[in-house]
Amino acid sequence: MKRNPVKYFLLTALASLSLLTTAQTFQQPILISSAGQSADVKLVKMLASRENLDANTILMATPSDLEGIKTLIIVPGFSLKGLGAAGISQEDEMNRVEELVEAANRKEIPIVMMHIGGNARRKGQSDSFNSLIASNSKHMIVVAQGNEDNFFSDISNAKNIPLEVVEKISETGAPMSKLFH
Amino acid sequence: MRRIHLSLTLVIFLIAGHLLVCRAQDSAVGKNGMVATAHPLASQAAIEMLQSGGNAIDAAVAAAFAIGVVEPDGSGLGGGGGMVIYMKERGESFYINYYARASERGSESGYSGKNDAYTAKSICVPGTVAGLTMAHEKFGTLPLEKILEPAIKYAKDGFEIDATLARLILDNIETIMADEETMNIFCEDGFPRMEGDIIIQKDLAQTLNIIGKEGRKGFYEGELAEALVQGISDRGGVLTMNDFSSYKAQFTNPLYGTYRGYDIVAANAPQSGLCLIEALNILENFDLKKAPHYSESAEVLHLIAETQRFVWADRTAYLGDPRVSDVPVNELISKEYANVRYHQINRERLDPPRYRDVEEGNPLPFRKEKLTPIVEEEMFSGEGHTTHLSVIDKAGNSVALTQTLGLFFGSGQTVNGVLLNCAMTNFAYRTKSSVNLYKDGKQSRSSITPAIILYEGNPFLVVGSPGAARIISAVLEVIINIVDYAMGPQEANLAPRFFVRDSEDFLYMESGIKPEVRTILEKMGHTLRVTEGTDLFFGGVQLIYINPEDGKYYGSADKRRGGMAIGF
Repeated sequence: MKRNPVKYFLLTALASLSLLTTAQTFQQPILISSAGQSADVKLVKMLASRENLDANTILMATPSDLEGIKTLIIVPGFSLKGLGAAGISQEDEMNRVEELVEAANRKEIPIVMMHIGGNARRKGQSDSFNSLIASNSKHMIVVAQGNEDNFFSDISNAKNIPLEVVEKISETGAPMSKLFH
Repeated sequence: MRRIHLSLTLVIFLIAGHLLVCRAQDSAVGKNGMVATAHPLASQAAIEMLQSGGNAIDAAVAAAFAIGVVEPDGSGLGGGGGMVIYMKERGESFYINYYARASERGSESGYSGKNDAYTAKSICVPGTVAGLTMAHEKFGTLPLEKILEPAIKYAKDGFEIDATLARLILDNIETIMADEETMNIFCEDGFPRMEGDIIIQKDLAQTLNIIGKEGRKGFYEGELAEALVQGISDRGGVLTMNDFSSYKAQFTNPLYGTYRGYDIVAANAPQSGLCLIEALNILENFDLKKAPHYSESAEVLHLIAETQRFVWADRTAYLGDPRVSDVPVNELISKEYANVRYHQINRERLDPPRYRDVEEGNPLPFRKEKLTPIVEEEMFSGEGHTTHLSVIDKAGNSVALTQTLGLFFGSGQTVNGVLLNCAMTNFAYRTKSSVNLYKDGKQSRSSITPAIILYEGNPFLVVGSPGAARIISAVLEVIINIVDYAMGPQEANLAPRFFVRDSEDFLYMESGIKPEVRTILEKMGHTLRVTEGTDLFFGGVQLIYINPEDGKYYGSADKRRGGMAIGF
């Protein structure tokens, strides 16, 4: 892995500091959904299952799916394959996600963003989804490779949103679980 | 040429005799040899062969084995493909069809369509090794062991995952995780490896070693074949030892066509060279040179899109395994038939107004009964699996080679390091009548379209693309860009692409097509689906353009695919 250890340390320290300054409690049951229809959401579903979290996964969740939900985890990342499988356009997906986020905010259901795809889910068509979800989240968990340009750190700093940066996808389960315990 | 646009990102000068090696991420120039593949290491493998005194066939075979290692999602030993060869010294062209074929007992697998795509039930008899070793035996000059050295090295020592592969691993993680051996290659601790991680494939290296020593026999007979048959059987598939031992690549003539004074040499049936030639024949009725580029003109884009749709309708109706069915190849690629099809296109509006309602033409006026119209279910994989590579040597011998596993990562099943195809997905199912219906031992049709274009007997363009159903449109659009719009190879490759066919509900396009053009297209009845920027959904054209004036080779690797052209 190509990594700048100094930058990584600073990012982690910064993330930890922001965690200390902002306390947000998260409760179950959880709804896990996608923003961009990448398969990453299925990995988060697997992680949640391993951590024994009370979570339901709906790839194309709509506001009505928020009934009874206490926390919304959104996994951003664009996949043309995913959109093709769902039979929708990028515009359709963005409209759905915007409606979901708006409904969650209205119902005061906190959003946790989990960006686990690294560079593969950055730039291009992914960043419009990344930006929307990060800006509306109450907590971010990010695999370091996706934040090498400080994309999520900048949003975290600007909006005072706690950010946890981990090295590998397999390491995202623990901080996710900790949010609920 | 308008402009030869070169954006060299890396230029390396190697003191190797008198050789000057020029590498570039997107494009390259040379006069002694040129390679364009979807991965820098595969291009490097080919160049090594040329520098060792090998010819274009040695280089193409080395690159084809190597690309299966370093771009394992798109092709490999467990897949198949097709190779157009032009031997400049002999002035002759050949085609090797090494696409996968159904097992002699395939119907016993219980394969039922889409839901079985990512299981061992979808595996057909792999043809890659038979095809590549056949090409080597007939035209190669270097020892097979040497040709396999780069592939073995990449498999044994590992290679770094690039951005494209990282994304594809994530996109196809369910397929990968369904098989333990596949998961062990692409995952670590049960989660996907990411960009920058190293993939080592020791089992594959061992299998490649056997092929290097024993050739075709090493793969299709003996212990390795037995292990593959057993491994496939353990996973619920049905392939027999006889399937392996009897598999032979087809050495045949390519298809020939012409376009505005150029000679087209393309893949023979059941691959899709005839679709490319038919489309070019239709468009030859219209003077594109005097028209605006399709990205700037709705009328021109509409004409090309309707051409694509009509050709697809013909493909669906008539293209199948010629060993099993009567495929009217010569009629479909005749100028007279193309003229009839051209005049059936309504230039003002989408007609018929639903993409799916387009009807096939009748290339056989003497046929008493028109073939039954077919509505068939085909796989939609969303993106652009498969791979293509183009090679030319100093003498002008050229190879256009496209190979595939079916969908990305094929069936997802790996045995002895060999990721196996899902070629069963290419057959027609759930329909009463189709020239492409499944039959034991049959070869499905495929959209792969490797092609070589000649000008006055000299190679002018070596071209092809991955991209599933978008292969034909990608190759067609790049050829038009170069021949009709006088674009340089890189400009032609970067130009926005579009795609439509007979079983879609949308006209897909990249956002480089001007917004005002899109507005007019919608008024003409089109329903658009626009992708921002460029995307590998629209293919990954690897091409070599040979400038007729100075004889220099210009390579272009499609940035949609992260490839590299290398020349010297």
